[in-house]
Amino acid sequence: MHSSVVRQILLLLGLAFLPAIGQAVYYRNAATWSAPPVDSALVTLSETKGWGDAVLWVDARPEEEFARAHVPGALLLNEDDWDARLRTLLTAWAPERKLVVYCSAKSCSASHAVAERLRHEAGLENVYVLEGGWEEWKGRNP
Amino acid sequence: MNARLILAVSFLACSLAGTAGAALTWESKAADLHPSLADKTTAAHFKYKNTGEKPVKITSVHASCGCTTAALAKDLVAPGESGEITATFTIGDRYGVQTKTITVMTDAEPTQATVLKLTATIPRLLEIAPAFVYWSANDTLEPKTITVKVQDDYPVTKLNVTSTDKSLATKVEPDSETKGFKIVVTPQEAGRPINAALKIEPDYPKDAPKTFYANVRVDSRAKKPPQ
Amino acid sequence: MNRSGTSGEAFHRGVLVRRGLALLAGAVFVYAGILKVRDPLQFALDVNNYHLVSWPIGVRLAFYLPWLEILAGLALIFYRAFSGALAITGALMLGFIGATIWAEAQGINVDCGCFGAAGSNLSFSWHLVLNLSILLVLLFLWFTRAKPDEITPARAASA
Repeated sequence: MHSSVVRQILLLLGLAFLPAIGQAVYYRNAATWSAPPVDSALVTLSETKGWGDAVLWVDARPEEEFARAHVPGALLLNEDDWDARLRTLLTAWAPERKLVVYCSAKSCSASHAVAERLRHEAGLENVYVLEGGWEEWKGRNP
Repeated sequence: MNARLILAVSFLACSLAGTAGAALTWESKAADLHPSLADKTTAAHFKYKNTGEKPVKITSVHASCGCTTAALAKDLVAPGESGEITATFTIGDRYGVQTKTITVMTDAEPTQATVLKLTATIPRLLEIAPAFVYWSANDTLEPKTITVKVQDDYPVTKLNVTSTDKSLATKVEPDSETKGFKIVVTPQEAGRPINAALKIEPDYPKDAPKTFYANVRVDSRAKKPPQ
Repeated sequence: MNRSGTSGEAFHRGVLVRRGLALLAGAVFVYAGILKVRDPLQFALDVNNYHLVSWPIGVRLAFYLPWLEILAGLALIFYRAFSGALAITGALMLGFIGATIWAEAQGINVDCGCFGAAGSNLSFSWHLVLNLSILLVLLFLWFTRAKPDEITPARAASA
């Protein structure tokens, strides 16, 4: 390729860095740079089986759906009534427990939002999101 | 195919269908909401008009989250007629930018869903970090600090902190660095498990007071620090 | 200009057509870039959705690529650093087409993020047709372009 074309390419590639870096600085606190913001802790149902009694199920669905049916032993925690329910959850929590949050199906986002808040606000580690959610659990435990 | 399945498929395949010949024309498919601190709900109005020549029936309106309800005044829209879908978002204990979608199906385009997007930016008065402090079996009962940041320069001048367990000593200090507060928590009793909540009450807004919480747990095996 | 006769007119028309096409292609890139620049975090998720690169790389790309698209698009529109811009947009387009086909083959839901949220109304085949036609335009411009010496990088910097 002609050397001036190469120069032009390098020029454009270089210039694009300036606004990109500026924007990245602007977003430095909002963006997660090393891992995806939410999906990092997805677990499958079979992985949770291996954890046995260490699993503490967290149901992030609306209260009506929780009332209809839920994973045995699961505690309800959603953002409709976060404060009061978080307290109940923290009472049941212990450092060795693994929290597995689920919502209705694969496409729902409530479990991710709840897991995120458990990690960042309550500062809990070992918080996971069940892949496939309640539908997946129900499908395997009819 | 039942309606639920159609919706599920349309969610996945909203990008896999064309948009030709839309009969309902939407004024806007996106709404930006900015509720105030005192609001419990916030609503978006999505206006539409039937610009086609045949009546259009809205066959389903489905919100992506249980916290959003969508109400439809009338499901049969005559040619030239206008109307709106009201989506009400219940704030609950949410904050920050919340994006919810409402999927609308019509008989004019049975395979093509219209996706309305509602973005609510919910203000937050206090950011409490961490909202949970824990003394484990291996810890000594040294004080732990909870930082309370006041967001967006709201005029909070005082915090009233009360503990549900009397053996927890709490002290509120203004934090000049963050223009917020520090709550220093010290358990004063060892040998029994403590499960408590700290009620944090700011002096603003006066007309719609909200109580915030931080949670405290102390393992019964945690030891008193050497005197 | 003292060009006269049919060959001169044809030449002139050819230039106009090429500049028009460059304007069009440039505008598409600027538009697509602006849509993404407005929400880089969403674009990062879209990039991640392809499962082609790891998150740390993807999120950095998400901040960089939209600006590159805008800049290269502007270069096409204003006819500065033209050959360089053609090479970059062509390479980007090849990358996008490759990624779209890859995603479809993997059965990944292609809300590809190519046009921000506006893209969610486009089907896979339409994406492909659109992308391929832009690629064709770029290829045409590349093979009919004037010698790159006419436009110096120094002038491009002022674009």
